[in-house]
Amino acid sequence: MSIVTLIGSFTDDARCAHAIEALREASIEDFHTFSPIPSHRIEHAIGQSPSPVRWIALAGGISGVLTGLAITIGTTYEWHLNAGGKPLLSWPPFLIICFELMILLGGIFSFSGVLFFAGVPALDSKPGYNSRFSEDRFGLVVRCDEAQSTSIESMLKEAGAEEVVREAS
Amino acid sequence: MAAALKQPLEPNFGDIDRSVLRVMEPAGRAYLIWIGFCFTLVAIAGAMWARQIYSGLGVTGLRQPVMWAIYITNFVFWVGIAHSGTLISAILFLFRTKWRTAVYRAAETMTIFAVATAGLFPLIHLGRVWFFYWLLPYPNERYLQPDFRSPLVWDAFAVSTYLTISALFWTMGLIPDVANAREATTGWRKKLYTVFAMGWQGTDRQWRHYSMAYLLMAGLATPLVISVHSVVSWDFAMAQLPGWHSTIFAPYFVAGAIFSGVAMVITLLIPMRKWLGIEDLLTTWHFDNLAKVVLLTSLIVSYAYVTEGFMTWYAGDPIEQMTFHMRYFGAWGWMYWVMILCNCVIPLLLFSPRIRVNLTVLWIITIFVNIGMWFERFVIIAGSLRVNFEPSQWGSYSPSITEIAITIGSFAWFLGLFSLFAKFMPIISMTELKEGIVWLRKALRKDIANAA
Repeated sequence: MSIVTLIGSFTDDARCAHAIEALREASIEDFHTFSPIPSHRIEHAIGQSPSPVRWIALAGGISGVLTGLAITIGTTYEWHLNAGGKPLLSWPPFLIICFELMILLGGIFSFSGVLFFAGVPALDSKPGYNSRFSEDRFGLVVRCDEAQSTSIESMLKEAGAEEVVREAS
Repeated sequence: MAAALKQPLEPNFGDIDRSVLRVMEPAGRAYLIWIGFCFTLVAIAGAMWARQIYSGLGVTGLRQPVMWAIYITNFVFWVGIAHSGTLISAILFLFRTKWRTAVYRAAETMTIFAVATAGLFPLIHLGRVWFFYWLLPYPNERYLQPDFRSPLVWDAFAVSTYLTISALFWTMGLIPDVANAREATTGWRKKLYTVFAMGWQGTDRQWRHYSMAYLLMAGLATPLVISVHSVVSWDFAMAQLPGWHSTIFAPYFVAGAIFSGVAMVITLLIPMRKWLGIEDLLTTWHFDNLAKVVLLTSLIVSYAYVTEGFMTWYAGDPIEQMTFHMRYFGAWGWMYWVMILCNCVIPLLLFSPRIRVNLTVLWIITIFVNIGMWFERFVIIAGSLRVNFEPSQWGSYSPSITEIAITIGSFAWFLGLFSLFAKFMPIISMTELKEGIVWLRKALRKDIANAA
């Protein structure tokens, strides 16, 4: 049985989300979308779990606090500077450094996390990409058996696809 | 107004793209002359700095007791200018403010270049700039380390964190827009945008992680923006000097930073809107809301001025009272009253809804705010140093040509970088404008109705 790729093009995210719901009701899960904007409708229709980037950010934040503590305590013990009789380990100013490093590493980890999980930089195009999907159209790309393709094509059209293009995989 | 609109009253996604991408078309002669003018001034400032490095700080007007003056004023001024970008891009994002979408990229770009400008001034102010790294902890043979109890070290960490996080947040927002530009351009520009877009295609997987990271970055940038100017204010407040040593400095400086930053956004956006022909993307609705932020923060800053004076009177410390007496009525008193006029009195005009949408008047008001906020920093920094504890230590200060040239060069550096960005990268976020297209249409309908 040969595999075909169907590319549905939608004028708005509501129709695209409707088509995704129809596909999922028919237990078809081998699809992906392209869109010019992030869409909560599409996200909910696909049923995506929250991104793991948040855990990466948390790890970054914790690393930042620990790095801050290590730098401030470590350098203080290396260079015993008595400044106006203040305690050697002066926690209030040290916490400022910990706070700044928490934000710094939290941000760097978040940014790195999104690049890693989103597969960016990407050298290859994902199948079915069309330049209009970066501009003003929402694309839904379905890979399926040729036998199923006619019913899926009509499913996409019923949901409001402007056009459905068929490509051999 | 209606005649100036270049796209339909009900723009769609394609119309937004065309309006933004039109700005990025090859530059004309006027633009090239402007860029040449800016970077000529930068080159003059660079030459003056080189002379200062060679000759020493003696070429400046810095003398005891005023050892912090225009350079540190410029540092605080530019860090303050940077604050509105993160306010608009992060804090207003978390509050889901609808009008931010058209202005946030320009504000964020302003932030990056303002921090990059601000970061130069502590270096310029160093007598031996080649030892700048002494401010950071690094392994060395004598086990010398910076004193983490010093606010100057906090400042180095805060400002470099701010620059890094703002740059990452800005880059992240740019990726989908640059991918869009990649599809619409040809030749070397297409190659450039293809590299910068890093293969972004807007798949559901990419948006899923992007949306989460964007939210997290906004969440991280929000306390950061508050902390950075608080830390800058502690450079002064932690000292014992009358006029600096005050507990209200952190909120007072943060409000002042947002005040001056949003005013600078308006100062840049009004001419940019006209020269780049983007009246259909930046409507009077956007400026009305920006003006309201200026008005609100002006009232907070005015309240801080009054509180500062009241605390000095109520505390009854004669040395501090003398400092404030000299600030109000001394030889430099005129600067204080210029600051009051520009920061407290003139912005009251923004209570009028008609003035808030009259872009010529609004632009002039924001110029006054920029001038007033520069003077505010100078009055606090140099004015307080000038009148020290003992009258025998009192002195004066007048800037040298080196300091003036470097100050003018810093404005040229900032404006030149901003103008370059506006021509080569999407200065308005197409992605976010499309997300809020309903609000853009509503604002355009209002502009047309007002014009009619």
